[in-house]
Amino acid sequence: MVCAKRVVDANIKVRVKPDNSDVDIEHSKMSLNPFDENAIEEAVRLKEAGLANEIFAVSIGSEKCSDTLRTSLARGCDRAILVTSEQTRLEPIHIAKILKQIVLKERPDLILLGKQAIDDDANQVGQMLAAMLDYPQATFISKLELDGNKIIASRELDNGVENLEITLPAVVTADLHLNDPRFVKLPQLMMAKKKPIEQIALTELGISIKPSTRLIKALDGEIKKNCVMLDDYTQILKILNEVA
Amino acid sequence: MKSLIITTTHSGKINPNLLPLVDAATKISDYCDVLIFGSDLATASIEAATISKINTVFTIEAAELKNPLAENIATQLAEIAKGYSHVLCAADSTGKNLMPRIAGILEIGQISEIVKVVSPNIFKKFIYAGNVLVEVESLEDIKLLTVRTSNFNSKHEPANQNAKIVPIAYKNPIHPHIKWQSENIVDKSVDLSSAKIVVSGGRSLGSKEEFDKHVRGLALKLNAAVGATRAAVEAGYAPNDCQVGQTGKVVAPQVYLAIGVSGAVQHIAGMKDSKIVIAINTDQTAPIFEHADYGIVADLFDIVPELTEKL
Ligand SMILES: Cc1cc2nc3c(=O)[nH]c(=O)nc-3n(C[C@H](O)[C@H](O)[C@H](O)COP(=O)(O)OP(=O)(O)OC[C@H]3O[C@@H](n4cnc5c(N)ncnc54)[C@H](O)[C@@H]3O)c2cc1C
Ligand SMILES: Nc1ncnc2c1ncn2[C@@H]1O[C@H](COP(=O)(O)O)[C@@H](O)[C@H]1O
Repeated sequence: MVCAKRVVDANIKVRVKPDNSDVDIEHSKMSLNPFDENAIEEAVRLKEAGLANEIFAVSIGSEKCSDTLRTSLARGCDRAILVTSEQTRLEPIHIAKILKQIVLKERPDLILLGKQAIDDDANQVGQMLAAMLDYPQATFISKLELDGNKIIASRELDNGVENLEITLPAVVTADLHLNDPRFVKLPQLMMAKKKPIEQIALTELGISIKPSTRLIKALDGEIKKNCVMLDDYTQILKILNEVA
Repeated sequence: MKSLIITTTHSGKINPNLLPLVDAATKISDYCDVLIFGSDLATASIEAATISKINTVFTIEAAELKNPLAENIATQLAEIAKGYSHVLCAADSTGKNLMPRIAGILEIGQISEIVKVVSPNIFKKFIYAGNVLVEVESLEDIKLLTVRTSNFNSKHEPANQNAKIVPIAYKNPIHPHIKWQSENIVDKSVDLSSAKIVVSGGRSLGSKEEFDKHVRGLALKLNAAVGATRAAVEAGYAPNDCQVGQTGKVVAPQVYLAIGVSGAVQHIAGMKDSKIVIAINTDQTAPIFEHADYGIVADLFDIVPELTEKL
């Protein structure tokens, strides 16, 4: 199982609404979360190596997430599940609860997510899901090897990496360093159109979604400075010598 | 209101994250406990007890906790968390792995990487790679927070009277399906997250040799830490843990020197709280200059060797 979140494209500079009530993303270009591209790529490589039988992608959100799922199918997933919800502020804890229901239904051996979504930058869903299932979690991984029902994963730490041996079923979350996602070619996009997307309404899953946080205001986070352009480095030498 | 800080040790001593966590916790409430878990806590717990404003230092010590795997401690911590209104962890690789697992066990939400405490229920944090700063109110009874420690004060204020140290028995079941195997720790003379000066290099260095010569060479001279852009890391010029940005480390040194760095939003996200930013770039329209205090439009291969020599 791979998770595929639809997010504002990484190249777009997101702005806030003039009344600071929220971000203004209505007309922004949307893409598959970059970390989820890594998660999907890793799953596809396992399948190509004969180590996985089937890959299905899951996305949660509005009907528009079917675009994201088409992209995931073009990247090599076999089928997809779209959990539709009109609720605009689904938080990581809600996503984890929803994913848990899908896991209980589908019983995948390996669940791959991105380490973080580039919109909320939360870095929570994989760990929450693993906790709810009491599965082991290999988070922020830059390397994965599968051997029977065990994986060896290298996890990025603040000052290096650690290697973990994990028995399936398990949750892993991908770092951008895990792999280089391939370019998708036209024939794959065409083929993706024929692959099935199953739709499930959130209401059918019977879980309660109660807000965990309330957004009070959104402010422009970008601080621009008045850069003093220098012709030589005397002043820089002075600053560096003082601080050092 | 009662806050609990969860922390680990660092080479047998207190984790440098503890001081800014105490600053954050005491901005929330007057009552603050610390819980340290690990395998060898004697020195660290005594040291923690000398920090001002801490009520009790709890310890969970066990050989099994030598490596802080979330699976082997989160269940017990979730139980302990129920006695507090706020639980705080640093947003480092341990905290980011652990806190959402605690949240998942308790089935409640968590707020990641707070940069400011507005009130006991309201916090500021960045989203969209730092493009947007939001103020959010937590609606949970237990507020689980990870803290961006570079935004809080790390001054050690000594306590008038040392805090009590209270051991708690380790009761978490060992997760049968995860085994810690080995680690490759990069020995770094200067720690990136707490360095006074950071020298960062980008793709333009062109090779690992040039990166080492110019960026590391200058950093060595300044006793500074080495940073890198994702492009430099992907190209193999610097290891992953040098990456500064949305997906790497967040740093806030007194001086941040960006050498041949374009200044993509994802990079700015990791260094914008630096006090003085100095940028060297051949392209005067490079976005990095919009986030710098001082800029020099020049070829790094000319200017960095001269600068290194003159220091
Ligand atoms: C989801 C996601 C997450 C990301 N996370 C991060 C992150 O955490 N950190 C990060 O850094 N990036 C991150 N990135 C990548 C980011 O978008 C940029 O691609 C990257 O920061 C660019 O690195 P760079 O400045 O080294 O390279 P470039 O953008 O190629 O810039 C090179 C610069 O060097 C200058 N230059 C060239 N030659 C010389 C010379 N001789 N002397 C002086 N200057 C010269 C050029 O003018 C240019 O400005 C992320 C991207 C995505 C999509
Ligand atoms: N709405 C969603 N649909 C599918 N997957 C999601 C969704 N939200 C989060 N995820 C997954 O969880 C990962 C981490 O997200 P987050 O914890 O929000 O940073 C993402 O990289 C996705 O793999």
